[in-house]
Amino acid sequence: MEFFQHVLNALQFGSFYALIALGYTLVYGVLRLINFAHGDIFMVGAYIAYFVAIMLLGADGVAAGAGLSPGLTLAITVPVTMILTSLVGVTLERTMYRPLRRKGADRLYVVITALMAGLILENGNLALLGASRKSFPELLQKVVWTFGGVSVTNLKVIVIVAAVVVFGLLQFIVTRTKIGMAMRGISYDKFAIPLMGIPLDTIIVFTFILGSSMAGLAGILFAMSYPILEPYMGALIGWKAFIAAVVGGIGDIRGAIVGGFLLGFIEIGVVAVFPSTLRDLFAFSVLLGILWLKPTGLFGVAKTTKI
Amino acid sequence: MNTLLEVKNLKVRYGNIEALHGISFDVKEGEIVTLIGANGAGKSTTLLSICRLPPPEAPRVIEGDILFKGRSILAVPPHKIVSELNMALVPEGRRIFGNLTVEENLRLATYARTDGHEAVHRDFDRVFTLFPRLGERKKQRSESLSGGEQQMLALGRALMSKCSFLMLDEPSMGLAPLLMYDMFRTLKELNAEGMTILLIEQNANLALRFAHRGYVLDTGEIVAQGPSEELLADPEVKKAYLGG
Repeated sequence: MEFFQHVLNALQFGSFYALIALGYTLVYGVLRLINFAHGDIFMVGAYIAYFVAIMLLGADGVAAGAGLSPGLTLAITVPVTMILTSLVGVTLERTMYRPLRRKGADRLYVVITALMAGLILENGNLALLGASRKSFPELLQKVVWTFGGVSVTNLKVIVIVAAVVVFGLLQFIVTRTKIGMAMRGISYDKFAIPLMGIPLDTIIVFTFILGSSMAGLAGILFAMSYPILEPYMGALIGWKAFIAAVVGGIGDIRGAIVGGFLLGFIEIGVVAVFPSTLRDLFAFSVLLGILWLKPTGLFGVAKTTKI
Repeated sequence: MNTLLEVKNLKVRYGNIEALHGISFDVKEGEIVTLIGANGAGKSTTLLSICRLPPPEAPRVIEGDILFKGRSILAVPPHKIVSELNMALVPEGRRIFGNLTVEENLRLATYARTDGHEAVHRDFDRVFTLFPRLGERKKQRSESLSGGEQQMLALGRALMSKCSFLMLDEPSMGLAPLLMYDMFRTLKELNAEGMTILLIEQNANLALRFAHRGYVLDTGEIVAQGPSEELLADPEVKKAYLGG
C-alpha cells in the first residue's frame, strides 16, 4: 500500500514538472530558444495567483477585498492568473526576444537574455515585495479519500488531472489545428512562414501565451499544494522541469510529459529508499545516464541537416 | 494591359553591401516576365525585396519604390503580401516544411484564406489534378519526396494561397531536363488561365523561350531588356548568357 502512496506522490510532483516542461518545450519547438526565464514565469504565476486570491477573499489584511467565498475565488483566480501570467510571457517576448530576433542575433545572445530576464523577475520581485515569504490562502476545502490504506487528497487529483488535460489539449492544438501546423512549420523553417500568408510574430506570441499560461496554472496549483511563496521558488523547479523536457526530447510535447513524470517517479523512488538528501544527486545522475544513452532525449529525433 | 508590378529605381542593401543599384522594371497583367543573369547578379535579392520578408532575412530598401496595382507595398507586412495582394513566391531551394505531410504543407498555405471550405477544396482538387504525384503522396512527410516532387509541392503551395501573381526563384534548379520541361509546361498552362508570372532563372535560354519579355541583370543593374525574341537574338546577350 505504501507503494501506491508513493506512486500518487510521484504523479503529483511529475505533474508540476510536466506543466512547466511543456512551456520550455513549446517555445523551444517553435523558436529553438531555451527560455530560461520560464521557471521564473512560474514563480510570477504563483504570486499573481496569491494577489488575485487575497483581493477576492479579502484575506491577509486587504481591507478592500471583495469577500468572496474560497470556492468562487478559486474559480476566478485560475483563469485570471493564467491570463495575467501569459501577459508576462508575451511581454518578455515583445521587449526582449523579438528585438534580438529582428536584428538576427545569434542564439547564444538570446539564451543569455533569457537568463537575465529570469534574474530580473526574481530580483524585481525581491525589490518590490521584500524578502518575506507570502503564505497562500486556503482556497480548497481539503478532502481526503482513503482506498484500502492509500489516502489521496482532492487537490492531488486535481493537479494530476490538470496535467493530463493540458497535455491532451496542447497535443490537439499542435497536431490538429492550423495554428499548431504553423507552429510546427516555424520550427522547421521560419523563413517560409510569411510566404504562406502567416503572420510569424502572431504565431510566436500565441506560443508564449500557451507556455506561460501553463506555467501560471502550475503556479496556482503549486501554491495551493505548498502554500509558501518566495522569489526564488521558480529557480530550482524551473531547472528541473527544463532538464525533464530535455530528457523527454525537447521540442516534443509527449517528451515534456514523459520527462516530467519520469523525474517525479525517480525523485520519489529515491526518497522512498534512501535519505532525502540524496534525492537530487540520484535523480540527476539517472537523467544524465538516459541522455548518455540517448542524447536526443526519449522522444527526440536527431536533427537531419536540410539542404 | 494593366501594369501589376512596377519596380522603380530600386536600391537595396544587405548590411553594408549595396546589392541593387537602382533597377526599374514592370510586369503587366497576364504576362510572363523573366529576370536573367549570372549568379550574384541580384535576381533573388529582387524577389526577396518584393516579398518584404522581415529582417534579418530581407534586404533593406534604401531608395526607390515597389508598386503593386499602383500602390506602394514597401510598408506592407510580408504575410499580407500573400494574404491581401495575392502575390506568392516559390522560393529558391523550395523551402517546403519537411516535417509536415504533403497535405499539411498545402493546407498551411490556406492559413489566411477567408473564401471558405469549398473554394479551398476546389484548389486542392486543382493541385492534385496538376500534380497527381502529390495526391498519391499526400499523407507522406514531405522531406521524403524527390526533388522534382518537392518542386511540385512548392508550386502547389503557392497555388493554394490563391495567388494571381506568381514569383518563382530558379524553379529548374536541380531538376532533370524532363521534369524541368514538365514544370514549365505547367507554368504555361497557369499563365493561359490568367496567372501573371515573374520568373528568375539561371537557365536563360529556357526562360526566354518561355517568357514574353525579359530583363538582363548584371551585378545589381539592368543591362538589357525587351521582348524575349529580341533578347534571344541580341548578340551581346547571346554571348554573355546564352552560351554563344
